[in-house]
Order: sequence, then C-alpha cells, then structure tokens
Amino acid sequence: MRPLDLISFARLGDLAVSAVLLAGLYATMAYGLGLIYGVLRVVNLAHGGVIMAGAYIGWAMFDRLGIDPYLSIPVVMVVSFALGVAMYQGLVRRLPRGAAGGPASLLLLFGVWLVLRNIAYLVFTGNDRTIRTAYSSRSLAILGSHVSLTRLVVLGLGLAIAIGLHLLLRRTLIGRAIRAVAQNADSCTLVGIDVERIYTLTFGIGTALAGVAGVLLATIFSFSPASGSSELLRSFVVVVLGGLGSVFGVVIAALIVATAEVFAVLILPSYLTSAVGFLLLVLVLVLRPGGLFGQRVLA
Amino acid sequence: MLCAGVNAMTYRTCSTPCYLLVALVALSAAACKPKAAPAGDRTEILIGGTLPLTGGEARIGGFFKEGYDLALEEVTKAGGLEVGGKKLPVKLMLLDDTTNQATAVSLADKLINSDKVDFFLGTYSTALVEAQTTVAEQNKVPYVNGGGAASQIYKRGFKYIFGTLAPVDLLGTTLMTWIDEQQKAGAVPKPAKIALLWENTSHGKDFRKGVSEFASKSAGAYEIAVDESFELNGKDFSALLGKVKAAGTDLFLVDAHLPDYITMHRQYLDAALCHKIMSYGARGSEKAAIDALGRDNVDYVLSGVWWNAQLAATNPIAKKFVEAFKAKYAGRSPEWFQALGYETVRALFVAIQQAGSLDREAVRAKLAALKIDSLLPGGTLDFPADKGGQVQAPFVVQQNLPAADAPIIFPKAVANATGVAPNPHCK
Repeated sequence: MRPLDLISFARLGDLAVSAVLLAGLYATMAYGLGLIYGVLRVVNLAHGGVIMAGAYIGWAMFDRLGIDPYLSIPVVMVVSFALGVAMYQGLVRRLPRGAAGGPASLLLLFGVWLVLRNIAYLVFTGNDRTIRTAYSSRSLAILGSHVSLTRLVVLGLGLAIAIGLHLLLRRTLIGRAIRAVAQNADSCTLVGIDVERIYTLTFGIGTALAGVAGVLLATIFSFSPASGSSELLRSFVVVVLGGLGSVFGVVIAALIVATAEVFAVLILPSYLTSAVGFLLLVLVLVLRPGGLFGQRVLA
Repeated sequence: MLCAGVNAMTYRTCSTPCYLLVALVALSAAACKPKAAPAGDRTEILIGGTLPLTGGEARIGGFFKEGYDLALEEVTKAGGLEVGGKKLPVKLMLLDDTTNQATAVSLADKLINSDKVDFFLGTYSTALVEAQTTVAEQNKVPYVNGGGAASQIYKRGFKYIFGTLAPVDLLGTTLMTWIDEQQKAGAVPKPAKIALLWENTSHGKDFRKGVSEFASKSAGAYEIAVDESFELNGKDFSALLGKVKAAGTDLFLVDAHLPDYITMHRQYLDAALCHKIMSYGARGSEKAAIDALGRDNVDYVLSGVWWNAQLAATNPIAKKFVEAFKAKYAGRSPEWFQALGYETVRALFVAIQQAGSLDREAVRAKLAALKIDSLLPGGTLDFPADKGGQVQAPFVVQQNLPAADAPIIFPKAVANATGVAPNPHCK
C-alpha cells in the first residue's frame, strides 16, 4: 500500500474528470464490437484494424484535403460501413454459425486485421501520425480542472452515439428487426425477416462505429499501422463487463473500467493501472459471466 | 584433421573407449564449426545483417540501411577492404526482420549457418538485438550493432557482441550534468524536486538509473519526488500527471518513445503544467512531435541524442560523413540513426583490416581492442570490455529554442547555442 499523503479534494476532482473523459473514449471504442457480438455472436478481431483504418482515413482527409476531422466522420462512416458489408458478404457469411464457427471466425477476422495493418504499412509507412487542428491544444477550466477540448468532444460524441444507437434499436423497424434476430434468428426467418440482410447491416453498422472511433482517437493520440491492439483489448473488457449486447451496459462498464484504472494510480504504480481493467474482467467472468448488466440484448 | 574424421565415422556396436572417441570427435567438430575460410582462398567478404525494413520500426530500419549503404559504397569505390595483402570486395546480405523478434533470430541463424556469413551487423531496437545476439554468440560470430542501447544486452558475459550505441543511463547522467550547471548558476532551485517518469522497458530503467544515481550522489541538491514507470503506448497519463502536479516538482524528466511523448505532452499541456526544466529523454525535436503538438508547445524541451548533424562543425569525421550523406541523398541531412548505422559498419571494416584476416576470432580480438577516431560525440570509438563491449560515448544535449530549431547546448566543447533555464513559458 502506498502512502496517500498527496490526496486532496482537488486531486480527487481531477481524477474524477479524467475518469469520465476516459470512459467516453472507451465507450466509443467498444460500441461496434458489442453490437456485432450481440447480434451475430462473432468476436470481431478485425475491430482494432478498422479503428486504425478509420484513423488513417480521417488523417488523410485532414492532411491532404484540409477537412476537419469531425466533418470527415460521415465519410469515414460510409467507407467503414462499406468495408463491414464487404467483410460480412465476402468472408464472415461463409463461416459456420454458433460454437463451431467461433475459432474459424476468430482466425479469419484476425487475418483481416493483419491484412489491414500491412496495407497501412504499404500506403502510409510505419511513421507515427497525428491530427492537429487549431483547437487541438485548447483546454477549458471546469471546476478547477483543466479539460482538453478534444477529449470533451470525444465524450460528447460518445454519448451521442450511445443515444443514437439506442434510438435506432428501440424506435425503428430495422432496429426491432436487429433485436429480433439477436434473440432468435430462426423465428425471424419464419415471420419473413431477411436474416442475412440484417446480419450484413449489423456488421456494417458495427464496423462503421469502429471507424468513427478511429477518427476520434486520432484527434487525441498519435497512431501508426501497429495501433489497434490496445483499443481492441479495452473494447473487449468493456463489452464483456457491460454484458454482451447491451448499449447502455457498455457506457456504464466504460465508466467503471475508466474509474478503476484512473483511481488505481493512488495505490498502484502507474504501469500496473491498466491491468486493473483486466482484473475486473476476470472477476466478472468468474462471478457474473453474463456481465454486470445480465444477458439483456441490445437495449 | 580431427574435423574431417566426423564424416568418416560409421555406425556399429561401440565399446566404452569407442564412445569416448565419438565424444571427442563430436566436441572437436563443434569447435571447428564456425571457422571462416582463410582470406587467401576468398574472393569476397560476406557480411550478414538484418534490419526492420517493414513493420513498426520500418522508418528507423530504413534510416540505418542508408548509413550501411553509404559505408558500403565508400568501400566499394575504394576497391574493397585490404585483407592479408589483397583487396577483397564486400558483399552485404541484408534481410528484413519485419520488426519481429522471432524473425530476427531465425534470419540470423539462416545467415550464419546456411549462408555462412563471416560477420554480422545487428538489427535495430533493444528487444530485437537482445534476442538476436544469442545466435551470434552461440556461433562465435562477431556481431556489431548500432541499434541496441540497453545495458542489459551487454551484461550477459558475451564475447562476440559489440555495440556503438551508448547506454541510456548516460543520457540521464548527461541531462543531469547540464541541469546541475543551471542549478549552480541559480537558474534552478536547490534542492530541486524531480518528477521522474520512465517507460516500463529496459530503456526506461536505464534512464531512471542515470538520473537517480546522479541525484543520490548530489548531497541533497536533488530530491526525486515522483518516481513512476508507465506502460508503453499508453492512452491516458492524466492520473499520472495529476500526481506530478500534486507533488509540486521543479524538473520534469521523462523517458518515452515518440508516441508516448506526443500523448503525454498533449495531456501535460491540457493540465496546464509547466516545469522549470522538462525533457522526454531522447525525444523532443522530432518533426512528427512538432507537427502534432505545435512549435510553441515544445519550446525549451531538452533532449539527449547519440549524435547530431551539428557535430560536423567540430568533428572532422562527422563533417565528412554529413557531406557524403548529403551528396548521396539529395541534400538531406542525416539523423543519428544513419550516423550510427554508418559508424557500425565502419567499425567492423576497420577491425577486419586491422586483423588482416577473415578469421572470426582475430576480428573479434581487434574489435575488442579497437580505438579509433569517430564521428560520435567525444570523437573516439571503442568497446570497453568492462562494459561488455558497449561504447560509452557521451550524449549531446539539444534544446528546442524558438529561433533556432534544436541546437546543441551541451557539452560545451560541441555546443553551438546556450541553453535556456528556467523555462520562460512558466509564470
């Protein structure tokens, strides 16, 4: 146990703000992975690669065309969606479903990730890239803490995506169809829902969300073709902790993981704080395998 | 003679003396294995090497290759290396280890045992060099590298490994020596509180060692108030920086790779932190960092590097190298990567010529005893045995200054600007 002599209310406030901002980041990274698993029961190991690809698309539009990274989000969504549809139609659809398809889909999507990574090396080289806008270095003073503007935007967009996804799934016909397919695909076929079309759409939306996460991450961090692995791991922790397939479960889980990691710095060496999330993952898998928010599907 | 006997052995029932003979022959065969052919029979010198030409370190691997190519081109123009009274051309078999430890090891094994290279040029980055050196040592092949800085590579009692990259603890020591001058001049308070953050790698541990040993010998002039390591490629340093803020430190000394430097310094700026002196170890003046953070935001950051093209003003070998490099690469100025690549090849070439033979043991002995004028800071290159064959050349300290990019500010003998402390940006 380390001495807690440096703790003050101001410090705790700083840590709380850091935790909320980090939670926004983690949630944004995790939505796509959670949606795809919730509906298709496929762990998309290419998720990290798509995040990296989204970052590069945003960077290329900013660097070559001068388009603000936030304005490039619609383009990134369309491109990532098309990539997701192509991945599903060209590859994932051909795999067996259920437990038998598990290892095959893991290997296949890991292979897709490696392909994306090596394409990025060929096109963009291994150099670290960043997106720096006129407002990248701006920060706001909130309750005595200095908060980065870009991280606030990521938090805001992260919450907006959660609400948008929730509304899509609850208030639209397509959303209801997605939820129905997630619950029982065979029954959906009997009532005339085109299950393959819903799977394709879901994989596309999940991939598009990963692409958006990539652009948002690129406004905060440097990235290279090797990026994506830590994002995938964090997303996985958040999705499993929140309960696979739960949108607001993802948000709450992101907040729990981020809070645990940030406040762990008070008692642990800094390099161990990232392990706290994985410790939580192990505990949840042992004590509550369905995640903190049960087995609820997509709502 | 005994070596030839291995092939002549045939299988049959063996008595005890026979087993002893087999064991003796096998041992002799093992001892004979790595011998290279005498120079008299040879038409070329075969040197093997790997570099990370693709993968995460591809950019730096490419830089090292530029240094290798220049050194090789110079020797080729001169008609080769003079060995045993005749000039032999040099052939470099350079393979791409894809920034992968396992590939680096297997390619080294292939080059040494299948392609029968005479000598080996090591790869880049501590992790890869550390793994690859075991292959060279086991096969008794002289291995010269400019890409492994961690002192632990050279603390394993290996005899065939030589490094031209000085240990990172010297970087910490050199930075502290400059800071100490500022403290004595009254620019830094006494005692000064240090926030010491280091990446959780052997690189970071060496840096920490250099700074903390200097502080512990300073008779109270420095107090390390925060001493923390962090995960490589971290996403959030705000909690760690909160600890730094709470400790009220004067000096902010970090050892980080480029992505962590960019991420951490962005969050440092977001947190409105400011220190009288700040450094990210060997990072500071990179274009990528300036692009990412903004020129004003990296002003007055100190960095210590193994070499700088500005040394050409005071070092004739560095001057010759810079001119040759610019001539070959369309006027582009070299960074330390190319310089160390060039110097690594040059050290091996000099040792081969001094040995006058392609015998690996003779070249190893010459490398161990080597002492030559060098483009490195300090002007001399040698591989001290008490440091495991790792060069101990000093670092040069640069500082990002508003009007002059990143001039050398220390050591004084090679400085071309005066360093600024305390940081004028701090109110």
